[in-house]
Parts: sequence; C-alpha cells; structure tokens
Amino acid sequence: MASLFQLLFLNQKRSLSTKLSTTKWKVKQVTTSNFSESLKEIKTHISSSDFIAISMEKTGSSSATPWHRVQPFDTAETAYLKATQSAQRFQLLQFAVCPFSVTDSNKIVAHPYNFLLFPRDELKLGMPAYSFLCQPSHLASIARQGFDFNTCIYEGISYLSRAQESIAKIRLGTGSPSLGVMKSSSPPTVVDTVFIKRIRSRIKHWRNTCKNSGTKTSKHEEIIDSLRNIVLGSEQFKSRPCLNIDVCSERQVQLILQMIADFSDDFVSLVIPSKGGTTQAVRVVLANSREDKELLEKELQSLEDEESKKIRGFREVIDLISASEKPVISHNCLNDCTLIHSKFIAPLPSEVDDFVSSLCKFFPKVVDVNYLMKKSGTMKKSTNIRNALSYLNTHFFAPVDMEIPDQDTVNKGKTDGLDALRLSYLFMKLCSVLKISPIVTPLDNRQLVPELEDFAFHPCSANVQESSCNEDVTVWTNNTKKINCEHLVFLWGFKFGMTAGMLKSALRDSNDIFSEEFDVRFIDKSCAVVVFWQPGLSKDLVNVMNAEEISGGLKELISDGLRVTGYETYRTMCRLGLWEMNLAESLERALESSLSDEKISSERKPSEIQWCNDNVLNFDDL
Amino acid sequence: MKPRKLYSLALSRALSRALTSSTTPSQCAFPLKTVTVANFEPSLEELRHHVRSSDFVAIDLEMTGVTSSPWRESFEFDRSDVRYLKIRDSASRFAVVQFGVCPFRWDSSNQSFVAYPYNFYVFPRQELAGFGPCNEFLCQTTSINFLAKYQFDFNAFIHEGISYLSREQEKEAIRSLNSMHDSECSNISKLNDVRDLPSINMADILFTERMKNKFSEWRDGLLQEQSQPNQIQGTRKDSKQRFDVIFFKKHPALKLDGFTSRQLKLVQLVIKKHFKDLSYIKVNNAGSSSQQIVVYTDSEEELNLLLKEVNEENHRAKKMKIQAAVGFRHVIDLLSSEQKLIVGHNCFLDIAHVYNKFIGHLPGTPEEFVASVNKCFPHIVDTKLLMNTDNMLQVRMKKSRNSLGSAFSMFCPQIAAGSKSTELVSPSHVKIDVEVDDSRLSSWNPGGKHEAGYDAFMTGCIFAQLCCDLGVDFKLHESLKLATNEKLQKYINHLYLSWMHGDIIDLSTGDKVANSSPSYSPKRRYPNILFENIVIIWGFPSNVKSSDVRECISKVFGLTSVVSVYQLDATAVFVQFSKTEQVSDFLSLKENLERSNGPISVLHPLAKLLDGGNTCAANYDTYKEICGSPLSQDLFADQANAVTMTPKSKLIEFKVALRSEEHENPSLQDNVNDVAVNFVEKIKPNSIDQLRNVQSTGQASPFEIEDSRVAEANL
Repeated sequence: MASLFQLLFLNQKRSLSTKLSTTKWKVKQVTTSNFSESLKEIKTHISSSDFIAISMEKTGSSSATPWHRVQPFDTAETAYLKATQSAQRFQLLQFAVCPFSVTDSNKIVAHPYNFLLFPRDELKLGMPAYSFLCQPSHLASIARQGFDFNTCIYEGISYLSRAQESIAKIRLGTGSPSLGVMKSSSPPTVVDTVFIKRIRSRIKHWRNTCKNSGTKTSKHEEIIDSLRNIVLGSEQFKSRPCLNIDVCSERQVQLILQMIADFSDDFVSLVIPSKGGTTQAVRVVLANSREDKELLEKELQSLEDEESKKIRGFREVIDLISASEKPVISHNCLNDCTLIHSKFIAPLPSEVDDFVSSLCKFFPKVVDVNYLMKKSGTMKKSTNIRNALSYLNTHFFAPVDMEIPDQDTVNKGKTDGLDALRLSYLFMKLCSVLKISPIVTPLDNRQLVPELEDFAFHPCSANVQESSCNEDVTVWTNNTKKINCEHLVFLWGFKFGMTAGMLKSALRDSNDIFSEEFDVRFIDKSCAVVVFWQPGLSKDLVNVMNAEEISGGLKELISDGLRVTGYETYRTMCRLGLWEMNLAESLERALESSLSDEKISSERKPSEIQWCNDNVLNFDDL
Repeated sequence: MKPRKLYSLALSRALSRALTSSTTPSQCAFPLKTVTVANFEPSLEELRHHVRSSDFVAIDLEMTGVTSSPWRESFEFDRSDVRYLKIRDSASRFAVVQFGVCPFRWDSSNQSFVAYPYNFYVFPRQELAGFGPCNEFLCQTTSINFLAKYQFDFNAFIHEGISYLSREQEKEAIRSLNSMHDSECSNISKLNDVRDLPSINMADILFTERMKNKFSEWRDGLLQEQSQPNQIQGTRKDSKQRFDVIFFKKHPALKLDGFTSRQLKLVQLVIKKHFKDLSYIKVNNAGSSSQQIVVYTDSEEELNLLLKEVNEENHRAKKMKIQAAVGFRHVIDLLSSEQKLIVGHNCFLDIAHVYNKFIGHLPGTPEEFVASVNKCFPHIVDTKLLMNTDNMLQVRMKKSRNSLGSAFSMFCPQIAAGSKSTELVSPSHVKIDVEVDDSRLSSWNPGGKHEAGYDAFMTGCIFAQLCCDLGVDFKLHESLKLATNEKLQKYINHLYLSWMHGDIIDLSTGDKVANSSPSYSPKRRYPNILFENIVIIWGFPSNVKSSDVRECISKVFGLTSVVSVYQLDATAVFVQFSKTEQVSDFLSLKENLERSNGPISVLHPLAKLLDGGNTCAANYDTYKEICGSPLSQDLFADQANAVTMTPKSKLIEFKVALRSEEHENPSLQDNVNDVAVNFVEKIKPNSIDQLRNVQSTGQASPFEIEDSRVAEANL
C-alpha cells in the first residue's frame, strides 16, 4: 500500500513538474511586423528538423453542435463532408508551427512559432475571403484563454491559396509571360516585318536621342529634345530613360521582345499588363552599360519577389513545409488537412478521394496523433492536446526532455500557439510509451519509421478514427463492433425529453421488426439512431413506415410525429450541406429534396458505386 | 467560477482603461461613456433617467459587415422588395458590435442642447444554455478591416460585450422553463433521481465508504445530541473537500464544497441507498453557481414540502437568470417604451438590425416589417432623408458627399471643430454641450474616433441643426414635441429603403413614397426598368462577356429586343427585353435548344451562351426567391443552383405539417412567406417601381449604357 502511495505521489510530483515546465514555455509570435525575418529563420529550422508539428485556431468549431462533429457512425465520405463544412465556413486566426528534431531517445529540440493570421484583402480583389463565420461561443472560449483579437486583426498576416494566387496574377496581370520566354512560333508575315521595321526605327531614333542628350549645346536643342521626348513617348524608369510602345496583340509583344533582344544588349524590356490580363504595352529601358543592365535586372527580380511575397503572405510557410517533405504531426488530421487545403491550396473537392490525392501532392506524410493514440490503445476517447498530455503524464512514465533554444529571444509572456509545441512533446512521449523510435537516420530521410507509417494520412486510413474505405461504421465510441451503415436508421419526431431507454422500449412494443435485437443511441436532442444487428430490418422499417396501413403502437408513434429514414438520406443531407442546428431539421429537409434529387445520387461516380457494392457484398459474404 | 473570472478580467480591463484615460489630458478626446458588462447595470439606470428627460434620442450601430456576398450588394436592378430581402439577409447574418445611444435634452436655461453619448459594446454571448442570441454570425473582411482602421477594440467586444436576448428568444426561454417546471412539479420525487454510474473503480469504492461513514456519523450526532449540531465533522486540512454544517430552511444540513462531479454523483448514490432520512438537493442560487446540500428531514411529507420549496426557488432563480440574459435589450425596451423620437442616419439597415436582434425574426415583406417596427418605435426620423428631400437644405449640401462625417462638419462646423471659440458660433448654429458622468463639457479635441457613440452624437447634432434650419423654435420648449411638430411632419417615419434608388417607405402606413424633391437626381444609368421584362442568366461559360450576351440574344430576337444587359457578378447577368413576352419566348427557346442535340442547336446563335450545358435562366421572381433564400454562396451561380434545386411547393406542405406540431423554424417560415409574397405580387403591382419608371424617361440610348458598362468592366 505504501509503495502504491509513493508511486501516486511520485506521479503527482512529476505531473506537477511538467506542468511547471509547460507554463515556462514560450512561443515566438509572428505578425506582419516581424514576418519577413521570421520567415528566414523558420526556413532554416524547417530544413534542419525531423518533424513539423502544427496546430490551428479558428473562428469557430463544429463541436458546438453535437451532430456537426464527426461521429463514429460517419463514413469517410460523410466525415469528410463535415470537415469540409467547418473548414470552408470558419476563418483561421492563428497557425502554430513547431519544427522539431529528435536528438536522443527522449530528447527533442523544438523551435515553436505562432503566426497570427487575418484574411486582409491586401490586393483589393476580395480575397482570400469576402466574409467568414464566427461562433460567439468559440470566440468567448478562446478569449478566456487570453487570445488577443486586436493584435490578430490589426497585425495578422494575410495569405492567398495557390488557386487564389493564380487568379490574382491573372487579374493583376503579372501572370503574363515575361522577357524572352516565348520564341516566335510561326514564321513572320509581311505585316510582322513591316511592324518590326517601324518599331526598330523608332527605337533606334529614340536611342540616338538618349545617347546624344548629354552633348546638347543650346537652349533650342533642349526644347526640341523635350518635345521629341513627348512625341516619342519617352519617359524615365528608375532614373533611366525608357520608351513605352503600345501593342495590340500578344503576337506583337513577342515580336518586339525578340527584336529588342537581337538589337542591342543595353536594353531591358518590360511587359506592362492591362487590367484584363492582356498586355498593354512594352516598356524598353535603356541601361547605361552592361553592369547597369545587370543591376537593373536584379532590381526588377527582387521587386517581383517582393510582390509575390505580398500575394502569398503566410502561405510561404505552408509552401516551405510542403517543399521540405518532412513528416507533419497533427492532432486531428482531417480537420487540419481540410483547413490547410481550403485556405492554402485550393477549394475543397467534393469527393474525399480527390481530396486525399490532392493533399498527398503537397503533404505526402501527415501523422495523426489522435489516431495514433486510439489505434495503439493508449487512450480511447479523443480529447484535446492538453487533456491527452495530462492523461499520459498521469498514466505512463515516459520522461521527455524538451529543449527550446530560442527561448530568450521570443516575445516575453506570450504563450499563444503553445499547442504545436505541446503536440511535439505529446508525440515524443507517445513514441516513447509505444516504444517507437522516431529517430530518422540520414539514409532513409524521406521515409517514415514503419511503425508510424501506419498512422500516416493516406486514402485508407483517410478518415479519422475508426473509419475506412468501406461502409462499415461503429455507433458507440467505446464499442468497436462494426456494422454496415445500411443497417442504421435515423429516427426523429418523438416526444421531447425521451431517453434512449424510453425510446427503445416504446419501439419494442410498437412493431414486430423490433422483436429482434436492436440498439438506440441519441445523436442530439432531436434525433436518435437505431442499429439493427440483423441485415434487412432497416429497409423493412422504412417500408413499413411508408406503407398505407400501419397498425399498433407504431401507428401511435407515427401520429405523434415519428419519422424514419435510412443512411442514404443522411448522406444526401451531408452532400447538400444542410447543416441545421438540429439533425432532425436537416434530415427533414434532406428528405424533401431527395425526391427531386435523383440527379445527385446519379452524379456519384460509377466507380464509387461499384466500390460501395463491393463492400456491401463482401460484408454479406462474411 | 467562470463568470467570476470573466468579471474580474473585465474589471481589470476597465481599471486599466480608467488609468490610461486618467493619465491623458481630459480634453484630449471626445467625452463618451463606454459601457461594457462591467458597468452595464449602473449605466442603464443612468441612461433610463436621461432618455426619460430627453427630447430625442440619436442611435447608431457598428456591424461586422453589410453584404454576405458580392451579388447581395445593392443593384439598380433591385426592386424594392428585393432590396428589403437583401437588407433582411444582412441584418440576420451580421452581428452588432457597438451600439451608440445619445439622448439629447433641450436645456432652456442655457439655450442649448445637452447630449449624453453612450457607447455600448455588444457581443452575442450565450448566457443561457440553449437560448443564445445567435449561434454564429458572419464577418465581412472589409468591414472588420474598416473597424480595425479606426482602432476598434475587438478584445472589449469579445471579452466584455454585453449580451442580449430578443423578445422572441426570451419568450421561448420562459416557455421552455415553465414547461420544465410543470413536469418537475408533477413528479417531485424525480428531483432525487440518480442513475448508476457505469463503471466503479477502487477509488470510488473507498470514497463511497468514507462518505457513508461521514454521513452516518453526522446523522447519528444529530439524533443523539441535538444540542451540538455545529460541531465540524473531521474535515481533513489538506483536502479541498469541505462539509459545512448549516441550517437549510430550518432543517439541519451539510453543504458540500470542493467535490468533483463524479464524487457528487457517488454522494448522491450513497444517500439514496443508505439513508432514508437524508436527501441530496441541488440549489440554484440567483448567482450563477449552484450548491449541493445534504438535508436531514424527519418525515416524507416534510421532505416533499421541502423539495417543492426548493423547486420553486430554483424556478425563480432560473427566471432571474433569463431576466439577466436579456441584457442589452433593456436599452431597446427603454427606447421603445418611452416612445421618444429616434434619430438615425440612413438608418433602415440599423432599424432592421435592431428588430432582428432585439425583437424577433424579420418578416418576409417590407410592409409587414414596417408595420411591426412602427408598433415598437412610433417615431423615427432619418437625417440623411431630411438633408436630401428638403430643397433649402440640399442647396446647403451643395451636392457634396453626404456621409455622416462630412454632413456633420457641414452643418455643425463649430461642434466638429470641438472648439469653444466664439468666432465660429453664429446665432444660426445650435449650441450643444456634452455631459458624461455628471461633468458637462462644451469643448474637446476635434475628430472623435469612429465609434457608434460618437456617430450617434453627430447624427443628433445634425438633426438639431436641421430642425433649427427648418424653423423649429426650441425656445418654446413647453410646446416642444418634435415627434409631432408640423414642420417635421413630412419627414417623420420616412426612411430610405434604398438610398441608391431614392425609394422611401412610410413606416406608419407601409406605403412607398416617391421622392418629391425636384432636385433629387439619383445617378441612374438605366431608365425604364421593367421587372417583368427581365431575365436573369447564370452559369454561362466564363469567357462570355455581357456584350456577347447582348449579341447572342439580339441575333435571335432582333436588334432592338435587348434594352440593357447588367452584369450581376462574374457568373450572372440581367437582360432586360423590350417586350414582356420575349421573356417567356427566350426561356422556352432555351429549353428547346437544350433538349435537342442536333446540328441546329450547335449552330444556333444562342449556342455560345449555352455552351457547357450549365447555363440557366429564369425570370425576375426567381431572382427574388434566390435573394430571399437563407443559403449563402459567394458566386451568384452557385447560390442560384442551390436555391433552385429544392422544390418550393414541398416546403409549404412541410410547413403545414410542422405547424401542427407547433415547431418553429424561422428559415422555413421565411421561405414560405416568400412564396406567399410571390402570389401577392402578381395581384398588386409594385407602386413605387412604377413611379420610378414614370419619373425618368430614357435619356440615354441603351447602347450607350451597354458600352459604358462594358468600359467600366474593362477598367
């Protein structure tokens, strides 16, 4: 007994000490004011690290409404649709990134950063977001944790997704081909030759004037010079003389560019775009010498970089992570990845398969810590990072040393975005509990340790928790008995205040269908799910409900307003995006539209239907 | 625990604000009373007093946004009912962040107005479980940025904003509370219902045993030595768990403190299983925290009596909580009950917000809305309308921008400058003092922050000056009833439904009023908008420009068939035909072309428009339906497809079914209302829109319009 107490005491002490150390952790806060230098810093840290832990804060979360959360009875498809909905509607407020390296079996070196984000419309194009949703309850809860909304909104870094960047470039006109890229594709026609001749003489004339302007003698000549400049359209560009030549087609642009390249090597040509994305004019700048030309070109290049940095904003960091191909550690993969995809890559595709393949192009390796914990049996319930950490602290002995080299340089007193750091700590602890050695040897740098490979985000573990490629789902979080989703029936319209037990007994008395084994689980106040452990009964029930004559207790229930529908309606509802507060309301609306909605079901790709059928058959064979 | 923490946070913030403001010279900024959760109660009482004695009250709102998507912005092709639907959408989606209230009182001794500007931070926090003001609200990025530009304090908004419940929500909360109370009264014994805990571990068993001993010890003590009930039962010093011996309604009782919810459940189980004369009671205090008490009772009857009493008390406490959750709406109730003249600047949207947030869901038609607003606020006047409809005033405005700020410096230069210097004060200018926290000021540094309280103050100042200019004599204060003053009569309760069109709606009658001012000249490029001649087309290929649309349709229906083409957003256009029947002709032709896949359809002039197979077209009523939908998509084409996918007729049947169940579903109801409105519309042509068309005769040829539009699009 005494030893037990001692152990408990020790445990308590240890958790106390780790608690102390976590409160001391600091995270470097990044806003618009220090973004460029932090970007350089994090670049080196990312390239030298083994893993990158990420965590995000949004303006709302789906957890406020129980059924909007991913439930155990969700298939990969519906879970993805739920995540999509939340990713699209809410806005990112902060993105914590923590590149870390494993130096020893229980030591990590971490470089935590927290980027504050705000979707400011830097380019006046209505991007990245015209509007976004906020959940007051969620905002209040992060406010309680001390989140500073003023800093976030005043100084948050903006961004554009890849898709938005290409749209922006077209609209700003910076996407058009620049100097010397294109070669004349077709042989020159007579018109072309005439055009070139004319332009060439004009440029020649202008060049001579420029070169001679230094030797002007009288006032008259000066006046003539300036008049000539006006006539020729000569201007100054970066304190060098330049000439704008208006063009009316892309062909002409090509011709001019080529001609100038052949003409003389002290010219730098620039394409001036119009608002519609076409070229308006070509600007020819006369450099003083070869060195001057190089200088000018360099200057232009850095200008362009600056511009595109302004366009991409925070996405630079995402691109760095993506380019590094380092394994990304996330706590709730599906939510994080849908969010990243919709904000930084492109709008989310409607099919989960497309999403996974698109994501894999950018993030080939994502490890879901939540899934890792569940799958390994360390922890059954999914919670947030902090709870998971304290659970591990109290239940396992797995000391992990955390070293944060830049602690002194980070802003004082700021602990926002600690979750990414905590996550890296949690990950390491978990590895040590599970006796996985995450240390990456230099040889197989691109590979994950095989034990971790199982938990990486790839099509078949795509979703979340338990679900899979097939249509089998569980209903209870603690009971992993799998069942085909066709055996589920959604039930609503019963009396307010019923418990699962009451509903179950009422159902049992109502009809013969319920004489077999079945279970009831409430999803929210308005709706319950009924599980038939025998195949076919779910269809029978729906048929009975739609039949002309209903008898017995079921009739009574129906007259009270009881409604029943199968899993297909639930799926339709998720597809249509009917996210009402109550599941019952959404299902009701889905039923309304499902009649007119054969279009949607037939739109589902044939391969997918086969895929479903296969699985259903397999299940029956078993 | 949480509210207390929040309160302390709010307090510390208020303190820090007070400190910082005291360090800066008091004359620095415009004096303004900022109200948050921390000082709401006393400020409300103060405001109550000021509103009662005021002559009029100016209001202004700051919102998180105005339009939820680009196509919901105001267009010239919006009929007044569509315009209302857009306002309704805006008011129901966005949140109010700041509410400025500024009562103005005529001080006859000083011959000046005294203004009491209040600036309320409002946040839709959920104070009652299940009955929040709203579950989510939308933010428009540009609006948030605008607020940020003026250093709006978002932390104050979220940390300390005052919450509210609308009248409808309060009613709903009370109804559900009463029904719960009734069911509890019917079986009072249920109060003690405990369900078994699913899994019991070793610690639980040890704890249970300890509790059992403790309670039996205490009870035995009670029974044996009635004289020593105050003896504190061996509470361990190191433990947080405490048993305080108290008397609860004249019964000896133990107050439990510092237990976890699981431990409390175990306590409940122990008591139920082992002690017949002890009972576990949860008491809700008027404050937010609830208390767990174990009470000793002699008999069953006594217990039942006690339980009933507790139940009543809990009920009362919950009612108090609902009352407290009403929060900021008390201000609105005050304005409504005092029936003062409400002054706003271009305030139709503001009024819609007030209605949606504090009264109930916005009705489906402008007429219904206006009628219910009139019941709550019988006298409303809009300074923007006042400035623009009166000829004399308009000359003074000299067609300058009439934003609130520029109007303020135009009409009240001496106040805008904030100076006391007498040179600026001419006799024609109304003198206005500001009083905050009983200190009266007449000078401050110019250029107040862009805050609702300051905006309300400016609006009030403009109104006072306008009244003066219109010849209202404040000096005859005994008879000063601004709301019924005949010089103001033709402006009161007239609001711009749409400033762009100059549509004015009369709140007291629901009629639309044509703009009588001859000099009123809205910048209108599209004369003669005939809504029944309009087709809306969306989902066409992205390379099709509005000029292409015109070209395609002109090829089929003749050169003069298309009066104008208006680009709604990148995915949709309005096409106005010269004849009404061309609308149906076009729609049926489109359908025919889509049905046949032959060479004719490929070579047909419309093929370019229909290319891709996603092109849809509909008449104006469908546009209205799309605008009234609760769905929200960024692109019009997506929105239109989403709306037209669900059949409307179904919804009516469904609604009827729902009504019978006494369910309330606002969004659905709205939809049904829209359908109903559609029917009304067919019977009664829209008067204002006709008026508008009569007024303006075509000055520009349609082609010019078209070209200018295209040119603009290309810019």
